[in-house]
Amino acid sequence: MKNRQSSIVNRQYYITIGWLYPELMSTYGDRGNIICLAKRCEWRKIGVQAINLNEGFSPKLLNGVDILFMGGAQDTQQGIVSKDFTSRKIEALKSKIEGGTPGLYICGAYQFLGKYYKEADGNKIKGLDIFDLYTEHPGVGKERLIGNIAIKTSDGSVVVGFENHGGRTYLGKNLKPFGQVIKGYGNNSIDGTEGAIYKNSIGTYLHGPILPKNPLLADYLIKTALKVKYGKDLELEKLDDSLEEKARMAIAKRLQIAI
Amino acid sequence: MNLLLILSGKIVIFISKILNLGNGSTWPGHIALNIDKNFIKNIIEKNKDLKIILIAGTNGKTTTGKLIQTILEGSGKRVFQNTAGANLLNGVVSSLTKFSSISGKINFDYAIFEIDENTLPLILKNIKPEIIILINLFRDQLDRYGEVNAISKKWKDALASLGSKTSLILNSDDPQIAYLGDAIKNEVKYFGVKGRKLQNTEHASDSTYCPKCGNKLSYRTITFSHLGDWKCSKGELKRPKTDLENFEFYPLPGLYNKYNTNAAVLTARELGISNEKIKKALTSFQPAFGRQEIIKYKNKKIQIFLSKNPASFNQSLNIITELKATHLLIILNDRIPDGRDVSWIWDVDFEKYLENSTEISVAGDRACDMALRLKYAGMDNFKTYESLKIAVTEALKGAHDNEILYTLPTYSAMLDLRKILTGKSIL
Repeated sequence: MKNRQSSIVNRQYYITIGWLYPELMSTYGDRGNIICLAKRCEWRKIGVQAINLNEGFSPKLLNGVDILFMGGAQDTQQGIVSKDFTSRKIEALKSKIEGGTPGLYICGAYQFLGKYYKEADGNKIKGLDIFDLYTEHPGVGKERLIGNIAIKTSDGSVVVGFENHGGRTYLGKNLKPFGQVIKGYGNNSIDGTEGAIYKNSIGTYLHGPILPKNPLLADYLIKTALKVKYGKDLELEKLDDSLEEKARMAIAKRLQIAI
Repeated sequence: MNLLLILSGKIVIFISKILNLGNGSTWPGHIALNIDKNFIKNIIEKNKDLKIILIAGTNGKTTTGKLIQTILEGSGKRVFQNTAGANLLNGVVSSLTKFSSISGKINFDYAIFEIDENTLPLILKNIKPEIIILINLFRDQLDRYGEVNAISKKWKDALASLGSKTSLILNSDDPQIAYLGDAIKNEVKYFGVKGRKLQNTEHASDSTYCPKCGNKLSYRTITFSHLGDWKCSKGELKRPKTDLENFEFYPLPGLYNKYNTNAAVLTARELGISNEKIKKALTSFQPAFGRQEIIKYKNKKIQIFLSKNPASFNQSLNIITELKATHLLIILNDRIPDGRDVSWIWDVDFEKYLENSTEISVAGDRACDMALRLKYAGMDNFKTYESLKIAVTEALKGAHDNEILYTLPTYSAMLDLRKILTGKSIL
């Protein structure tokens, strides 16, 4: 009965998740992130809906979105998305990100937010130029960076996942990485950084279902969305994350690290 | 040189059997290939009468191969096949070694080889097959293979330089596969399955875009995942006319087995076998290892549905739901044959199929990930085990004598499970 009052209060809150190109940019179980965000809102009686922003969507739809999500893709699919990003759409997305709308951009989407992506054959694809970063593929036959990975974010928490990318990403001077690699490759396997964080938007190579095993990160996105939308800091109800913790420990054990 | 390699291969197979290390289905090939790169070419040239059938695709290779073998043997042909799962070059070489005499003579009419997606172009450099069967392309083990589109492109390139003697048996319902028959000079036959009117696409769709021009595909009907009666929304590419959609008898339940059976029947017809003989042979069909195989263990029945990617997992869930499963054991591993990345479990539609009345046990190297997936699918009736042996014992305890324990393992998990149940390994 303890939760009853808070649940009545919570019904006042409502979050819309905007999933950019679920049909095209969804390769590695990316849907897990949407399921995770939605469930963690539902369990707290926070109203939630996810809308699919498919090829040809109207940029106006972005106005009503509180959390943005975009996943990885196969190369051909990425080409279709690139064509669909009209200058009006780019402006709309830019103003959402600059305005602090929290978002999670994974793998192909993360690269896409940067200045450019240089393909293995040297061909340069222009990015959206929202994040100060660029990505280069080291060339045909060079190894992909694949495997389980753990990183430490700036608040000291550990994020675990799986990475699989050919491109190497390099951050501009003023762009903060999402975390430092503990085990794995990260942005480029050289400088020890992983991902990038700009305003409330996170770009990362930890692909597919990153949120279910990192509930803190999921809750950060929800909390930030509520803060931006309602203008106040709300304490999220604590959930039983023991199963999540067990799954995290299993990866930590595999990577032989302590978390 | 060949003689020596064959002999040493046979000795390895023999020793592995005695020591119960499995059938030795990849080692001998591995050794032979290291010494003689042209081993396959040489031995095939020595056996000009041996006809070769290649099968590739993400799901259904082993079952389709076994179906064809059953039909051919039913018409008195001598047939051998590579061991299920041993589908890289070394597996093909091992099986050639196993079934040849020491002098390199192969006394069989047909060899059926199931071939790994990435190995198909390589094998076509060494073998001129009678028939190539391409079943489907789903997302599978992306950490190893790269992307579905990339594989289909490699296949298209490899098929372009085929000799005209080879015929192709292709799935008309899979756009990426059907497209392989576009503008090719070889004889092509298409198999499909009649679908239902489209409602909502299941989640695990891979190629909803035209393989030729990249525009969106529209579907009139769908069977499952991205398989159906498709058409490019802008270009002229569409599902080709099928040569077989429905056969009079299907030995295994499940839509995917309808595809496998249709592929096998169409192949048999191509080889001149009558419908009557095909049907008769299929009635005696026994499933392959782990493909709906039933094993008795401690007086109870366990049925294994190999479930290795979203498409095959969804199909397994669909069948066990129809069978009103009461006890279910899911085993998730992330070893190399399974793919090291388990992200794909989030593309499986647990929400659509599972009900809270089913007792679910979860085991395997990545049991925790699977448990988490079930939690977020709204399940709360599952138990997680670290040891597979204990999981099997505990799951069976709950099942009555007349109830079957349905198990959905990934590839290496299936091998582990069979070892527990039968005491022997396969590979």
